[in-house]
Amino acid sequence: MRHLNDGTLRRIYDEPLALTSLDQAHFDSCTECKARFESIANVARATATLLTVPGFTPEPAAALRSVRIRIRADETRRPPRWYERWLDRSSPRFRPIATPAIAILLAAALMTGVTATGVAQGWFRVFAPTTVAPVQVGPSDFAGTGALLDYGEVKWLPDAPTLRQLTDATAAAAQSGLQVLMPASLPQGVSGPVSFGTISHATGSLTFDADRLRASAATKGVRVNAMPARINGSKLIVNAGPALIEAWGLSASASQVQMPTLVIAQTRVPTVDSTGVNAVELEDYLLSQPGVPPDIAAQIKAIKDPSTTLPIPIPKGLATTEPVQINGVQGLLIKAVLGAGVVWQKNGVIYAVGGQLTPDQVLAIATSLQ
Amino acid sequence: MLQSQAWQPVVGRTPLDALRQGVPDPFERLFLEEYPKVVAIAYRVLADRSAAEDVAQDVFIQFHRRVSPGDERAAGWLHAAAAHSALNVIRGERRRAQRETAHAVDPAQAPVASPERLVVEAESRREVRRALSRLPQRTAALLMLRYSGLSYAEVATALGMKAGNVGTLLRRAEEALRKEVNRATPE
Repeated sequence: MRHLNDGTLRRIYDEPLALTSLDQAHFDSCTECKARFESIANVARATATLLTVPGFTPEPAAALRSVRIRIRADETRRPPRWYERWLDRSSPRFRPIATPAIAILLAAALMTGVTATGVAQGWFRVFAPTTVAPVQVGPSDFAGTGALLDYGEVKWLPDAPTLRQLTDATAAAAQSGLQVLMPASLPQGVSGPVSFGTISHATGSLTFDADRLRASAATKGVRVNAMPARINGSKLIVNAGPALIEAWGLSASASQVQMPTLVIAQTRVPTVDSTGVNAVELEDYLLSQPGVPPDIAAQIKAIKDPSTTLPIPIPKGLATTEPVQINGVQGLLIKAVLGAGVVWQKNGVIYAVGGQLTPDQVLAIATSLQ
Repeated sequence: MLQSQAWQPVVGRTPLDALRQGVPDPFERLFLEEYPKVVAIAYRVLADRSAAEDVAQDVFIQFHRRVSPGDERAAGWLHAAAAHSALNVIRGERRRAQRETAHAVDPAQAPVASPERLVVEAESRREVRRALSRLPQRTAALLMLRYSGLSYAEVATALGMKAGNVGTLLRRAEEALRKEVNRATPE
């Protein structure tokens, strides 16, 4: 049998039980290997002496307090990230001033819709997603004044969506009409109580108004392309929700902003209908406006079946995506530095699972939901 | 009307909750588990308590910004970051000079030793740290991780190598350090 190599002999010094029985038998009977081991062990002992430091027992609890203070200070100093500003602007906490933001969201949905299917006299269903696709969005995109332009009047019919927090799973299911989903098991690192939230079903309309757009552009000092006569006065109707959100790892303290470790969300697919306006014409017009970056317009135009595809904004350079199968349905896996997520659509419901997890953990949860 | 209240977490009543009660958040749990190891690695490199704690806390703050505490590679990331951050400190001439001054007059480290012995030991540690700073970063990191008490498997995870190669590379690293120390202090 061959002699044991230096690495194996070195390991015997630290972890003698890691030796295989075959190697152990050789070592016991080989004087040459024993002599080499002695030499290696001498160097190891000398190194241990060289690297000796006086004893010291750290205090993790005190250090944790200090680190918490520094993290809080760090978070306070840090300006909000672009997606935090975006989320804040487009959250359900809509204020009247947020009207243009809603218009942009409606427009983004509409821009994907070019195949109209009649749903009623004079109405076209321009968007009803059955699948998802990534759209890379950079930090400076939508940061310009174009995103704040006022394209027309937004109305909720009758009320805007309402976010409610609930005390238990049964109430959450009853309020949303959606089934509360639980993973077969929770991965390591996900803990704390689960929180439930529901967002009510809502119908909203945007009536395009050339005068309002012109006035808002003049106020902002930006130049916009004049709204074509066919678009002026036309109306988009968006149907969205209800939605059900389950979140793990949220702090019990309301003052502490914390990213949940795991979120499971589901919503009925949103739909967009239009009153007779030519969707292609509207798409071309909106994509040419200030505030819509050319590469995003190109990505939206490149979606193969846009009327049935929901674009998922992906932070450019911070996350990558790949198609995956979730129980027989195609989904989109998003891998980021901070975590991972997966989005898919099945039987008229869009599902999303994400958090401070690895892609494998996210997929395991997504496929085990019941 | 729209409700504009902030998201308020509530306690659910699912069977899983029973398992989750009393468990600290993932970052806190990871911190309490790993902080002693992370400090030990930095301390092994720097031989200075307060500098080691500074490095360890910086490592956790960087970790908080970049990595999920639930990531299965979290511990490896922390160990490697501790070794590399501390080695970067001993490579910085200005900070090294400051640390050595503080280190040489630290009476708390061996209160029963004589002043002469303290000076000799401090000088010896300085020589070793200088030798260490001249080794390739990965070689020095391997030595520090192993001599801080990490297992071969933990060292392999932290440095992204096969556990089977740790013994060979450790043996070479020890030889390299020995030669570097001998070169610096010829008999």
